[in-house]
Amino acid sequence: MIKLYTKSNVSKIAQLSCKLSCAAIVAIAFSAATLKINSSIAAETDIKSSNLSSLPKDSLNSVMWDFVATEFLLSDKSSKKIVMNNQILVHAPKVAEDQLNLPIHVDARSVKNVQKIVVIADLNPIPKVLTYEPKQAEARLSFRIKVGQATPVRAAVLDKDGVWHVGGTFVDASGGGCSQPAVAYGNDDWVKRLAEIRGKIWRTPGQKSAKLRFSVRHPMDTGLADGIPAFFVEKLEFKGANDKLIGNLIIHEPISENPTVTLFPILKEATTAVRIKGRDNEGNLIDVAVPAPVQSSALQN
Amino acid sequence: MDKVRRSLLIGGASSLAAPILPAFAAPLKYNLKAQRIANNSYVVIGKTEDYSPDNGGDIVNVAFIDTSDGVVLIDTGSSRRYGEALKQLIYATTGKDVIRVYNTHFHPDHCLGNQLFDKKKIAALPKTISGLKASGEDFSSNLYRILGDWMRGTEVIVPEKVINYSSEKFGKHRFEMLPFKGHTDADLAILDHETGVLYAGDICFLDRAATTPHADLESWHKSLKEIKKIPHKIIFPGHGPADTTSRSIEQTDSYLTWLETNLTKSARSGKDMLEAAKMSIPEKFQSIDVIQLEIERSVAHLYPGIEEKTLPFLGQGDG
Repeated sequence: MIKLYTKSNVSKIAQLSCKLSCAAIVAIAFSAATLKINSSIAAETDIKSSNLSSLPKDSLNSVMWDFVATEFLLSDKSSKKIVMNNQILVHAPKVAEDQLNLPIHVDARSVKNVQKIVVIADLNPIPKVLTYEPKQAEARLSFRIKVGQATPVRAAVLDKDGVWHVGGTFVDASGGGCSQPAVAYGNDDWVKRLAEIRGKIWRTPGQKSAKLRFSVRHPMDTGLADGIPAFFVEKLEFKGANDKLIGNLIIHEPISENPTVTLFPILKEATTAVRIKGRDNEGNLIDVAVPAPVQSSALQN
Repeated sequence: MDKVRRSLLIGGASSLAAPILPAFAAPLKYNLKAQRIANNSYVVIGKTEDYSPDNGGDIVNVAFIDTSDGVVLIDTGSSRRYGEALKQLIYATTGKDVIRVYNTHFHPDHCLGNQLFDKKKIAALPKTISGLKASGEDFSSNLYRILGDWMRGTEVIVPEKVINYSSEKFGKHRFEMLPFKGHTDADLAILDHETGVLYAGDICFLDRAATTPHADLESWHKSLKEIKKIPHKIIFPGHGPADTTSRSIEQTDSYLTWLETNLTKSARSGKDMLEAAKMSIPEKFQSIDVIQLEIERSVAHLYPGIEEKTLPFLGQGDG
């Protein structure tokens, strides 16, 4: 297995950076992001000025909305238009109890022909959380994120006509989640256990989709904790019977340590297993089969 | 209680935008009252609520014992202002100075009033001291965020007297040091052999839901089992009323068992954290204050660990 840095180094680094001023980091990252807005607005003006001026009013009143819309949505090749859509459900607690583990559930089943779901936490130093392309799966998923401060969390859902449907919610938090070292560095065995995969599929009779919940043991370093480079699971692909693609998931630094995700694959036969393949940004590979769901196991539990 | 609880300051502020604003804002003042629970023994019982700008963090129990050598104080409250009110109350009740302070554990509601007392006389378990050193500033800035002006002037004072002894005596009162863990890494309970009052700190809660931000449930259950064996007349929990029937032990134990059983069941059925937080509360727990809120908080603290134990291992990636 890996790596870039030795465990003993990392432990020291982690200890040192524990006491870092989270606020300072967020502030720096934030001003960097603000600068980026200006430059990106300037750059976009030529190409997409009409789009920018016709941006819908942000229902969450975020100061980052123009940036989020131009950087992550209008920049997509197939993007034609953005609409606010309160049928895009983003469930999250009102307040982040643990800024390292904020649970989110996104439900975009109200949109037809979903091409992708992009999740963005506007005020995080790294705003983009994930991109999910459901194929043989319902347009919804659950996951956990780190938050740097109170922030809008939004889901932008691209349909096949190039329309982004945007919904979201606001989450209060005290801050610091993105610039803290991973908890894993407190354990001596983190390298040994890196990329351990756990998971299971549940099927409820009468339900259109099965439920796949899995976790990957990984520090998910953002690169914002002092001296610890970004190190995160980046890409996962899900396939069912006959290699049929269930969906693609691109995840980014703000996803919580040990990413734990629920997807809702539509599995034709009761016996279909799901294969998860992917890698982190250091090229460590993930390849695992989640066994076939036992009929009505959900009921037994 | 813990740093990680935050309230919506924005929401709090908007409620101030009532049509009529008072001409003068009333000065912030804790209304602390001492109740006598045994010979020479007084308690100040906090509200069984979460931190809020309305209660100013007066949500914790403290106790003081009037010995012939001076006053022994157990925990100091959430803020400098609380410490001031407490010190006045102690003097008004006993006419004596404080000669010993104990911090039962490192959570901010139990030790941010330390400033008013001589830090050389403040005693705590070693891991309470290291915990407060590491997290005190975060606790305090988070409480400033939630409580605002109530916190003015509050600074973190770390105890300087390490508890590495099993008992100490002031006047006729012999205080036995009982180091437990489970609510945090170091939870001090204190038995006053003169009165039979067992000051349990946050190992015991009564009619106020237990909090779990730094909990290890297995150790906590073990501690409760041990505390049950210690002969006592009254248990004074960290939150909730004084207890003469050991109900606080039973309730804390059965609540934590129920919580863990439910979360394990949720993890086995593939629920995510948001789904797991929706549990129906059995009748016997329904009168426990802030239970719904604490369940939601506990899911955030405990669920990732429970899921890791529950989800089947499938394999490991490879570089």
